Amino acid sequence: MIFGAWILAVALASSPQHEAAKEVSTPSPAGATSPSDHPQESGESPAQILMHHVTDQAEYRPFGLPIAFPTKHMFFLLAVMALVIGVARVAIASYRNGAPRGVGSVVETLVAYVRDEIAEKSIGHGEGAKYTPLLLSFFFFILFAALFGLLPFSATSTGNLSVTFALAFISFAAQQYAGMSKYGVVGHFKNLVPHGLPGPLLVVMIPIEFLGMFTKPFALMIRLFANMLAGHMMIAALLMLVPLCYPISQTLGIVMIPISLGMALFIMCLEVLVAFIQAYVFTLFSAMFIGMYAHPSH
Amino acid sequence: MDNPVGLAYLGAGLGSGLAIIGGGLGIGKLAASAMEGIARQPSAAGEVRGAMIVAAGLIEGATLFALVIMILLVIK
Repeated sequence: MIFGAWILAVALASSPQHEAAKEVSTPSPAGATSPSDHPQESGESPAQILMHHVTDQAEYRPFGLPIAFPTKHMFFLLAVMALVIGVARVAIASYRNGAPRGVGSVVETLVAYVRDEIAEKSIGHGEGAKYTPLLLSFFFFILFAALFGLLPFSATSTGNLSVTFALAFISFAAQQYAGMSKYGVVGHFKNLVPHGLPGPLLVVMIPIEFLGMFTKPFALMIRLFANMLAGHMMIAALLMLVPLCYPISQTLGIVMIPISLGMALFIMCLEVLVAFIQAYVFTLFSAMFIGMYAHPSH
Repeated sequence: MDNPVGLAYLGAGLGSGLAIIGGGLGIGKLAASAMEGIARQPSAAGEVRGAMIVAAGLIEGATLFALVIMILLVIK
């Protein structure tokens, strides 16, 4: 399930931009060789630089390596995927000699929290264990993707709508699976509305509940995407204050340097907090929605 | 209608401001009530905090829907 998730996310992240990469490279063969990583040198406007930082780019060369990846976000998606697997391996290995140490003990705290406070409480005792691996992979992937994106020269892969769509789609599939595996396909759709409602109410309730099935993962998708994008846009915009103020007056530009850096640093610290909150919220809402379909009101 | 793009920028700016006012008021009211609840019943602080984050997430989600529309207006 976890690997399926990542493959889907990779495929979705790569497909539209990959086509864009071909479009860019076909009219001008020179475009493929010149790295487009330094917009400042080509004299772009601050708004373009800002968008360059937060949007995906076709053909990304990490750290000037000779290998080119299809897109920037896809590279960081794969990097975070490797990181999650690596951290999990290290954590498992630390159990070999009795009590876990180092990374293992940190991971254990988070895993125990997700299992006991999110999965068991939202989905139900016993049943929560079945969905804990999925919820944990959501949690660690979103957390690491957000934290990884705060490092210099990196990007947040969850700040891409395709990636969050894939995550939300897996959450949607798990929600439907929770209902269908327990009550059957027909029973699951019957459970959407409480039993024994009067007829006129059903006319209103059925469309609302049916739409609600899709708006729940849609909200998950938009929430994660917007939170990841907004933080990075804000940092970039605050750092853009200096080049925006300098043409107005040189003194204003120089005065703006500490203000801009200070505010950007503040938002950066806030982003660390947001990374944890968003990982928690995505996991918690997924668990709540799974629980909602596993235990319908009746 | 001399410059429809300018009007879109204006709409996006005003709209995002209004969306933030709504979201800020909602989360502010929620946090105030949660603080009050924790002050009255400190032993339930953990549960109140958990419920607060869930509700804040839902309010935030609705606000972000509005903000995404504003981004779409700006980059169209």
